[in-house]
Amino acid sequence: MPVPPGIGMEENYFSLDDILLSHERLPCKTECSFPRLGFLEKSSDTRDIPEGSKMEMSLWLAKGLYEKKRRVLSVELPKVYREGWRTVFGADPTVVDLHKMGPYYYGLGSQMLHFDSPENTEIAQIVLQTFIGRFRRTMDSSQNAYNEDTSALVERLDCLERSLFKAGQSGLNGFQQWEKGRSSHLTASSLVINYRKRKITDLQA
Amino acid sequence: MDAAEVEFLAEKEIVKIIPNFSLDKIYLIGGDLGPFNPGLSVEVPVWLALNLKQRHKCRIIPPEWMDTDKLEEIRDQERKLDTFTPIPSLYYMELTKLLLNHAADNIPKADEIRTLVKDIWDTRMAKLRLSADSFISQQEAHAQLDNLTLMEINTTRSFLLDSLNYMYKLRSNLQPTRTLDY
Amino acid sequence: MFCEKALELIRELQRMGDGQLPAFNEDGIRQVLEEMKALYEQNQSDVNEAKTEGKSELIPTIKFRHSCLLRNQRCSAAYLYDRLLRIRALRWEYGSVLPTTIRFHMCAEETEWFNQYKKSLATYMRSLGGEEGLDITQDMKPPKSLYIEVRCLKDHGEFEIDDGTVILLKKNSQHFLPRWKCEQLIRQGILEHVIS
Repeated sequence: MPVPPGIGMEENYFSLDDILLSHERLPCKTECSFPRLGFLEKSSDTRDIPEGSKMEMSLWLAKGLYEKKRRVLSVELPKVYREGWRTVFGADPTVVDLHKMGPYYYGLGSQMLHFDSPENTEIAQIVLQTFIGRFRRTMDSSQNAYNEDTSALVERLDCLERSLFKAGQSGLNGFQQWEKGRSSHLTASSLVINYRKRKITDLQA
Repeated sequence: MDAAEVEFLAEKEIVKIIPNFSLDKIYLIGGDLGPFNPGLSVEVPVWLALNLKQRHKCRIIPPEWMDTDKLEEIRDQERKLDTFTPIPSLYYMELTKLLLNHAADNIPKADEIRTLVKDIWDTRMAKLRLSADSFISQQEAHAQLDNLTLMEINTTRSFLLDSLNYMYKLRSNLQPTRTLDY
Repeated sequence: MFCEKALELIRELQRMGDGQLPAFNEDGIRQVLEEMKALYEQNQSDVNEAKTEGKSELIPTIKFRHSCLLRNQRCSAAYLYDRLLRIRALRWEYGSVLPTTIRFHMCAEETEWFNQYKKSLATYMRSLGGEEGLDITQDMKPPKSLYIEVRCLKDHGEFEIDDGTVILLKKNSQHFLPRWKCEQLIRQGILEHVIS
């Protein structure tokens, strides 16, 4: 069992999901100069990153540099959390493709609360409301997909919803296997099977 | 928990059998069994009943509730009420499967019973989904799952717990406390 | 940008989401450590300069590099830790002897860790259930019967069962064997459990 993501404002240090989430890029503006780091900006050949530079930074770096008291950096809200999209989500959260817009819609939304935006309350609200509004669909699809190809169902789900979908499916599959009398059947470990598959594809490649 | 483990627990339930052999009382860690006399009914755990049945050593008397009239009544009740009806056996699903698979010839109207039990199960699972949705949309902090059986809970456990956990975390965002940064 | 290599390590594991163990990326780890060394040295010299010459404007840059150091540290630690979790699972899936292909994917320290884990588990299992010990990697599901029907999926050679008889596990041959003797071979894909 891998380390699960923290969800919400806290990250899990060892979680691979959280590490990937914290790599998401945020539009930032420097509020002071960063001497000797000019080489990090591809477009410029200055020695320093001057104050007022607009650049994209990973969430982890923005969190590391951000300070409440001293203005080092200002972080802009990604579009999906701004008012325009908030209205769309508020109207009908089920129509949005959260995978395309995310795929860490809930995770990143929660993380944005680390930066003191005046809109924080609204962001927290819409993230929660979106989860609630889409819950029924996530649940129904995870409970009704009787051994069908589930890729179409998961396509539009955010990472968090996908993990819920998986949890629902595994419960259902476990029960169905038992019903068919397959649950006492001993099988090869999925690891073994997958290693073998890989070997075959390696050979073919 | 694996469904096979739930079934294993169900095998400790007691059923009545009518043996066709005689054997003195046997003393086991889990309790004494027998004595067995041909034609005289005796109570044994399901695992033993099935084992004897497979070796043609007994006839199994189905539990009282495993009866079309009684099950129809439960099914209708289940469909009528919004809450979960108390079920006569906490292992109704497992026992139905075990007994019908191995001792169908001892159970009158076996096929009808199979369908009725499946209907009850489906109704209850649909209800469970409905109540899961309502406690998420009403942002409840906990869910009360009275009268649910182990197999029902087991089928939806990780989904239910994860949903509640995610909702709790996202709701905690409304009262943020600044935490450790990585 | 800094820390790209470290993220590459994480992506590598994430791509194999089903718990498989990719080859230990020694080169990747080395590059991350090199970047960390460079970041650390630059910061040391800037810290000295900031102190002796009072150049406080260097502080944001120092903090920038420090964040990158921490990030690299987190990614490498998570990489190693996640691999350990996968390696631990291998003991339960394959038993104490791993196939060579998988062994080649582990670095020396990981092999050492696997051996230690194996030992701890064995010591614990010996301490259970009286003198004989108890193999807790067996009977992961409640057994329905003591003997089961199995079919050989590949030639495996001779195999001794409880009563001392030796049988030949030849491809496509079918046998009725004690369940506990077969469980691991089934998990390894050598035998197949046949349900009538």
